[in-house]
Amino acid sequence: MKRLAGTALVAAALLALPLATQSDFVLTILVFAFLQGMLAVSFNLVFGYAGQLSMFHAAAFGIGAYATHLFGKHLGVGYWGGVVLAAALVAAISVVVGAICFRFRLREFYFAVVTLAFSEMARLTVLNWNSMTNGSLGINLQERPIDGTLAWYYVALGALAITLVVCWRLVHSWMGRAFVAIRLNDELGDTLGINVFRYKLVAFTAGSIMAAFAGSLYAYFLGSLEPGLLSIDTSLGIIAMVLLGGRRAVAAPVLGALVLTALPHLIHFSAEIRSLVYGAILIFSILVMPQGIYGAAAQLIRRHA
Amino acid sequence: MLEVRGLTKRFGGLTAVAELSFSIVQGEIIGIFGPNGSGKTTLLNLVAGLARPTSGVILWQGTNIAGRQAHQIAAAGLVKTFQNPQLFPELTALEHLLIAGHLALKRRLGWQRLATLFRHAQASQTLAHRAREVLALCRLDAAREARAAELSYGEEKMLGVAMGLMCEPQLLLLDEPASGPGAEEIANLERVLRDLKREGMTLCVIDHKVGFLRQLADRAISLHHGAKIAEGTPEEVLRNPSVVSAYLGRAHAAI
Repeated sequence: MKRLAGTALVAAALLALPLATQSDFVLTILVFAFLQGMLAVSFNLVFGYAGQLSMFHAAAFGIGAYATHLFGKHLGVGYWGGVVLAAALVAAISVVVGAICFRFRLREFYFAVVTLAFSEMARLTVLNWNSMTNGSLGINLQERPIDGTLAWYYVALGALAITLVVCWRLVHSWMGRAFVAIRLNDELGDTLGINVFRYKLVAFTAGSIMAAFAGSLYAYFLGSLEPGLLSIDTSLGIIAMVLLGGRRAVAAPVLGALVLTALPHLIHFSAEIRSLVYGAILIFSILVMPQGIYGAAAQLIRRHA
Repeated sequence: MLEVRGLTKRFGGLTAVAELSFSIVQGEIIGIFGPNGSGKTTLLNLVAGLARPTSGVILWQGTNIAGRQAHQIAAAGLVKTFQNPQLFPELTALEHLLIAGHLALKRRLGWQRLATLFRHAQASQTLAHRAREVLALCRLDAAREARAAELSYGEEKMLGVAMGLMCEPQLLLLDEPASGPGAEEIANLERVLRDLKREGMTLCVIDHKVGFLRQLADRAISLHHGAKIAEGTPEEVLRNPSVVSAYLGRAHAAI
């Protein structure tokens, strides 16, 4: 009950926020944070719950972004048609990549390296398929499917909310229990009748589909497509958000996304020093709060309750 | 219900299970014993799908399941517990049982369980209720909210049995449930297994000492170097000269 009241309070505050600030700057940062949060929350379904360190999440994000534009342009299905088709494409690719990795029982480090290789394959395809993607120059997106920062604010908030609800329901269901079983002891899960291959694949594909939706929105808010969307930097950024926010609660990675999106704008140094300070803050907070901001806050509340 | 024919498992030059044949009938407790290294655990792993047999047939209700994956065999009603307790670190005893309820939910709801992902369902309450029943049956009520790391060795082993029961197996394979725990916990285990037998469960229990199985088992098989050297009631098997010599002098100490 307390949790429900808390969630309602946060939701109401976020819905009402644009009444308090008309600042384009603040709303823009929040839109980026919500979309990055969507990416981090969906990644955490695969990483924090099912225990698979996927480096393919950036590829799912970037393919989602590019495919939305390309389907919309070449098939004439418009932006929203493109979003749906892009998600379907990413789902299909993820099933193939996941099936290969899980069939060969790649674990931990090996799984991370092989998914990284697939992710690089996707990035290099985008980089070199000039006729479609315009290579390293990227594409300026002319269409404005959603207009104005305020409209974007509510779309991004809604998309994040849907992602959270879907992940929350999955995690707190029998399927979420199967994910946790796989993370903690997959051999035991196997003898208890859990089809480890199937549920790893489901977690991986579900996470990738949500990343594709995040990519479709992100690129159009940014107004451009570039191969960097699929780069390892994106993957590392997602991991940083999850580690900073916390892994053991569905919404915790959003905290990491908020901090890491806002931080560069709050540190007023030259670009070189800024990234140093940014890195130092990240290392420091992960060392001090191994369970993330969420874990540290929960511990604080428990101590004072 | 289970019939094993000519089952063989070789690890390189070592033959762990050699041309083994036996069967298990519904409702009995069968004890399999033999000294350490006689191939008991390998045998259970072969039957439960954790290892692939080199040759031989494992007929489960008329179908050959040799070489199938563990989760498929578990889904067919044949579930195994581990000699060294395998648990989910961080989780409580109750959470272990909810995970182990996976198959029961699958059996009851089929594909409809996908619908339960997005709305509350009676099924999850039934599952929680069943988990409490199994905890009571296994005398684990007090440990319900205890995390895996806080359990005693005997409780860990018992939790393994409880997880097996949540799968609603037709045949439960227990790998040395009585090695390790204290005398009181073994007595407890014996009571639990008797309760299960009364409920009509078929059990296959392996152990390296016979004391525990002597009273409990309806029938016993003795293994030595992966081959069957004796079969009959526990008393008959114990008197069998080849069993005595297999254990050498150690037999008397162990029994």
